Amino acid sequence: MSQLIIGQLLNGVIVGSLYGIIALGVTLTFGLTGIVNFALGAFMMLGAYATWYLYDVLGWPYVPAVFGAVIAVGIIGYLCDRALFQFTRGNLVNGLLVSIGMISVFEALVLAAFTTTPRDLTYVLPGALHVGGLILPKIKVAVCGVFLAVIFGTYFALTRTWLGRAAFSYAQNPEAAALMGIRTGRLQTIVVVYSTALAGLGGGLYASMYSIDPTIGSGYVLKAVEAAILAGIGSVIGALGGGIILGVSENIGSVFLPSAFRDAYGLVFLIAILLVRPSGLFGDRS
Amino acid sequence: MLGSKGLLLSGFMALGLLGATNVRAEDVVKIGQIEALTGPTATYGWMSAQGAKLAVEEINAKGGFKVGDKTYKLQLTQADTRGEPREATVQFRKLMEENVRFVFGPFLTNIFNAIEPIAKQNNGKFLLFAGATSAHSALGKPDHDYLFRTWNWDAGPSGFGKLMVDYLKKQDTKKVAMLFQNDAFGKTAVDIYTALFKDAGIELKVELFEPGTKDFSAVLAKLATGKPDFLFPGYSDAVLYDIVRQATESGFANRFFLVRGSIGPALKNKDAIEDYIAYVPKYFEQAEKTEPKVKAFIENYKKTYNREFPYDQAPLCSSSCYDHVHMLVQAMQSAGTVDDVAKIRTALLSMSYDGLWKIKYDKTGEEVFGFDVVHVRKGGSVEVVKYDPTND
Repeated sequence: MSQLIIGQLLNGVIVGSLYGIIALGVTLTFGLTGIVNFALGAFMMLGAYATWYLYDVLGWPYVPAVFGAVIAVGIIGYLCDRALFQFTRGNLVNGLLVSIGMISVFEALVLAAFTTTPRDLTYVLPGALHVGGLILPKIKVAVCGVFLAVIFGTYFALTRTWLGRAAFSYAQNPEAAALMGIRTGRLQTIVVVYSTALAGLGGGLYASMYSIDPTIGSGYVLKAVEAAILAGIGSVIGALGGGIILGVSENIGSVFLPSAFRDAYGLVFLIAILLVRPSGLFGDRS
Repeated sequence: MLGSKGLLLSGFMALGLLGATNVRAEDVVKIGQIEALTGPTATYGWMSAQGAKLAVEEINAKGGFKVGDKTYKLQLTQADTRGEPREATVQFRKLMEENVRFVFGPFLTNIFNAIEPIAKQNNGKFLLFAGATSAHSALGKPDHDYLFRTWNWDAGPSGFGKLMVDYLKKQDTKKVAMLFQNDAFGKTAVDIYTALFKDAGIELKVELFEPGTKDFSAVLAKLATGKPDFLFPGYSDAVLYDIVRQATESGFANRFFLVRGSIGPALKNKDAIEDYIAYVPKYFEQAEKTEPKVKAFIENYKKTYNREFPYDQAPLCSSSCYDHVHMLVQAMQSAGTVDDVAKIRTALLSMSYDGLWKIKYDKTGEEVFGFDVVHVRKGGSVEVVKYDPTND
């Protein structure tokens, strides 16, 4: 029994890190543009399909395929920002409507191009690690490592670089940041592109673990928003923490309770946290 | 301004146009299709929609079909329910308002349940060819003369479920773990197979999962503690690839039994599985080599859609799809009418159709057709056992 629980704890951390990477995009975009970009799930799906196409159809090696997908999704993110998101800055409702509309458009385009047939990548890193009676699929461990590195890398970039500090200052006081010479429009575009590229990376790595279809993004973006709220919107490390808490509560909950209500276990946890800390686990109490 | 002669002329012209429209309308038989073409449950509807369109194009390309001394063409309207009951009722009402007399679909149980009351109100005015499992219990009930079910029933003497469970019993199976989606069909399937396994003396443990789940590690680990001989996962490839990979990679299970879905996941993990026993309406990879009709269908599909043939999904063409459009046309010709749905229903119930599948309906309107049981073993060797209940 203890092996079952420890195994699922670790699996929860791995699954949670995927929620965390999308949650990071959600929290960054909200902090700097004032919109909750629900289309990040669709960007994740695009990243997954781009990786599948480059890797399985065109025969690229996996790592360059993921990089290619991240760049492609980043470019799409930039075009969407210029064409749409820049007109919704600071307007939660308009941003929400645009992002929901984009989900339909992206899903329909991918459906038309690749149909609903699930795509399952040629296995990148097959097999499992056997550690003390526990069996952990190698690909999940590797993907989790990449996600953790990216999230901590983003945290250090935000706290140690000029651009990162500019982003923080803008999130705290936009007017003061603009008066201090920060080019706010460009900063917001950079954050939107970075968030979409992160989602593309999430999709690229997701595709190495799970089969993909045009609707995979919608479920994950909801989890990501949940993780971001659980952590407290605006917290970078919190996004990871929120994702992991969600992943672990779903996995452990499914072991002891019916797995048919897996999503509910995370939500119950979220409600309990918000009752005690309305601004989230890592959010500002003030 | 127009004078009285001008008005008269305009009136004649309008009447002439109206007359022409009537002639055109009489030459066209409207058929509708109501399926999820987008959304997470679109796999079934998408393939059905492709097959129906292909049949319509084939028939129209030959100049249509003759009933009596008139030649008709088919006009197909495909409505996308997105797998959502509310959307389905809107789309279905629209088809009824447009006087569509022949509707193919739905495959999904939740969609059939949603449109069933509206269909009942229109009983006698149209025919519905639904693949949904829940349509089974509505067959033969009063005010359900409109209904045909285009999939063979899991249980019962001609059903594939009992034959499948018997096949499993021959593998010396004592315990099975069933892992299905928590939705209308999942629950129906649990009810059907709980009884079938009980009758066969096989112990069954059931777990349901949330729609959209991709990581099954926790529930697989839980089921593995009961040490089942076979894992019985369902029910579409969107989850089967993940379940089979995760189960084999983490050592939770390597023997699988399924009654919906393709053998694609088995072939992908052929070195990790021990057994993978699947009900497949037709094993197209083999049938293409031995059945000329299947070969022609595949070639036509590739030419029409300009894409690779989806061998995994093609067995879904057995439901409310390609053969059923051709069969309907044959029934209209045999009944000598394109309007009298009661006569066409009688013709359908009394005929058998030999297309991609050999199809007939039982007296309640439920379909009986031949199918394959495909047994994939470690290494990828495939054994196909054919069943043809239409001969019974």
